Amino acid sequence: MLPLEDESGPDHRIVTESGTFRAPRCDSEFVDTEQQGTADADLLHAAADGDLAALRELYDRHAPWLAARLHRRCNDPDVVLDVVQDSFTALWREAGSWRGDGDVGGWLWGIAFRRMISRLRQRKDVVLPPDWDAARLGVLPAAEDQVLSGVEYGDLGAALRRLSPEFRAVVQACVLDGLTAREAGRLLGVRHNTVKTRLHRAKAQLREALADTHLEGLS
Amino acid sequence: MNHVELTGVGKSYGGFRALAGVDLCLGPGVTGLLGPNGAGKTTLLRIVATSIAADSGEVRLLGRDLRGGHAELTDIRRRLGYLPQELGYPGDMSVFGFVEYVAVLKEWDDRRARHHEVRRVLELVGLADLATKRISRLSGGQRRRVGLAQSLLGSPRLLVLDEPTTGLDPAQRATLRRTLGVVAQDATVLLSTHQTEDVAALCERVVVLDGGTVRFDGSVVDMVATAAGRVWHSDHEVPDARVSWRTGTGRHRIVGGSPPPGAEAAEPTLEDAYLLMLGPDALASPA
Amino acid sequence: MSTTGWHAPPALLRRYTAGDLDAVAAASLERHVSRCADCRGGIAPALDIPGLDARGLDAAWSVVRERVEAPRLPLVIRLAQRVGLREPTAILLSAAASLRAAWLSGAVVVLGFATIAATLGDQRIWPYLLVAPLIPVLGVAAAYGDADEPFEALAVTAPYGRTRLVLLRTLGVIVSTVPVAALLGFLLPGPSWVALAWLGPALTMIPVLLALASFIGPRTAGAVVALVWSGLVLAATRGAEQTWPVAATQQAVYAGLAAVALAVIAVRARLTHQIGAAL
Repeated sequence: MLPLEDESGPDHRIVTESGTFRAPRCDSEFVDTEQQGTADADLLHAAADGDLAALRELYDRHAPWLAARLHRRCNDPDVVLDVVQDSFTALWREAGSWRGDGDVGGWLWGIAFRRMISRLRQRKDVVLPPDWDAARLGVLPAAEDQVLSGVEYGDLGAALRRLSPEFRAVVQACVLDGLTAREAGRLLGVRHNTVKTRLHRAKAQLREALADTHLEGLS
Repeated sequence: MNHVELTGVGKSYGGFRALAGVDLCLGPGVTGLLGPNGAGKTTLLRIVATSIAADSGEVRLLGRDLRGGHAELTDIRRRLGYLPQELGYPGDMSVFGFVEYVAVLKEWDDRRARHHEVRRVLELVGLADLATKRISRLSGGQRRRVGLAQSLLGSPRLLVLDEPTTGLDPAQRATLRRTLGVVAQDATVLLSTHQTEDVAALCERVVVLDGGTVRFDGSVVDMVATAAGRVWHSDHEVPDARVSWRTGTGRHRIVGGSPPPGAEAAEPTLEDAYLLMLGPDALASPA
Repeated sequence: MSTTGWHAPPALLRRYTAGDLDAVAAASLERHVSRCADCRGGIAPALDIPGLDARGLDAAWSVVRERVEAPRLPLVIRLAQRVGLREPTAILLSAAASLRAAWLSGAVVVLGFATIAATLGDQRIWPYLLVAPLIPVLGVAAAYGDADEPFEALAVTAPYGRTRLVLLRTLGVIVSTVPVAALLGFLLPGPSWVALAWLGPALTMIPVLLALASFIGPRTAGAVVALVWSGLVLAATRGAEQTWPVAATQQAVYAGLAAVALAVIAVRARLTHQIGAAL
């Protein structure tokens, strides 16, 4: 009855380990990445085959948002551009071995973010963490904000907002940014077992929060 | 200055005489080497390209004697571009990789300049978009253009092309004509083909080779003129024609021999002149 | 597929690029944008950061294009570049089949087996003696093609010169195979001079191969040389000692043979009307 048990949606990052709950399907799942001509996956296959024009098309599609997203974590535009260059070069070289489901953007972010982490580590620089304190920023009206976070995360969005501060870093790293527990441990400077434990507890908290909201009859 | 001067050049392979007593004098512009298979075109081109040595006679290229020593030879090769008849491409090389390899052989040591030059020649032959494709994935005509591109590296003064039009469609031949037109302004281009249309479309001068000897050496216009008054259209066949065939309109085109009654004179083409010179075997296709 | 999903209004995208959204809202937006073609297009105009505008991204693309256009050289060659191999030379070496990881690792494996056969068996060093010199020799044979082949013809008619190219590749093969083989040789039982004694025949067979190849092509020449050497080593196991092929007297003969081969090559190179290629 509850959308919580929806079996048919694709796996979300939230469920990498436990798999006991999935965020409900949202509208954006139906967004057609194929609207504008060739699908990303097809472009990637073409690029693996040596088609430079396909890489150019992928670059035109993805470089802007990638640069924007990277910029949130590092103020230096030179570093951001460097990472963008490296990421697309890596994309070209590894295009042949991609076994993905069509989410080229996600794969690209994984490559780019990891590269940026190591680049910043070399410079003894820090990766800027996003600000979790919505109240302080208070930019979006509540309703608009609910729609926005609902788009990708459904009820999970509100639950994430109520996450205890000590869990925010690991959830940001593992769930939102897609790092492994080991990589998150290195980034945050903690042992990877600690990361796993915290993640586990964070998920428990999220599950509780989700159950609460459903009991309260919100959708 | 004459860029190519051959005097009495001969070459034999075992007992087989590929070339005998070839005299040739070429300057800037495009010259077509026409002849049936086995006429010695490839051998002649290989000698001009310094790929093999002649057995007899004198060869002077770009004002230098080929026997002048290694330094002279290297100097000639610095200003030479060569497209062999069948170019093989090793393994999984990409278009850019292959042309870059040849660029290194042509002493382009500086990376930036080399890449710039590679891109330039790829642009010239219209393959800029396929630079990263594997050559093994390209069509025959595209591969030929890759070969052509490498021959254009360094804007050579002497360009030797063995059957450059193989596998090219008419549009690509037009592009080739434009490219050669640009290149040939102060360079000597010697290209071989067994298709008269190519010569008519691309060349100002033509040399006809048969059985290892030169049968004609002059301008295309002059060669066409040799067939003047010897080509007719008629409804009837003629037994003593050199060559005749039925055209698409149902009439016969008769080259050589005496005109049958009721025949009309036809405008001669280069092909007619070629057939008159060498007979019907001249157009035999490769086996 | 349906396109009536939610899309990000431009104002929201501007807020995002300005850094005004909190973590959860931003994460949701980011996830959406990476997969929605419409919204992706909306980011670029909203990007108001100096250096990350259209010009900056275009410049970055040029760098990407530069890097991916030129092919990536084989791993072994890249490693050599780290230690100082110049790029033009590296490119010339890359076209040789026997300077690739596949060939080299195959050679190491074969030699490894030969060495193991010696250490485990009963003082049987002849497998090693058979294989070790042949590795560089066959490597050289596999590093270039017959002068008549069209691809090789390009090297003949280029200023760099085919002879120089062949010698370069020969050197590359020697440098990449000899040290490893020598190292494995020190693991052999018995007299330790064997570890280096095989160099004699190896360094003889290479000029012999080159000289022979200039007449009959590298593949055939390689086969001939391999057969002769195998015959020698195997014959030695029947009659005389195993180390006979590398004993002192034989080494002297090899030295003489090498000298003759080099002379042949030199003479061919000097024949000024031999335009094609000495090798």
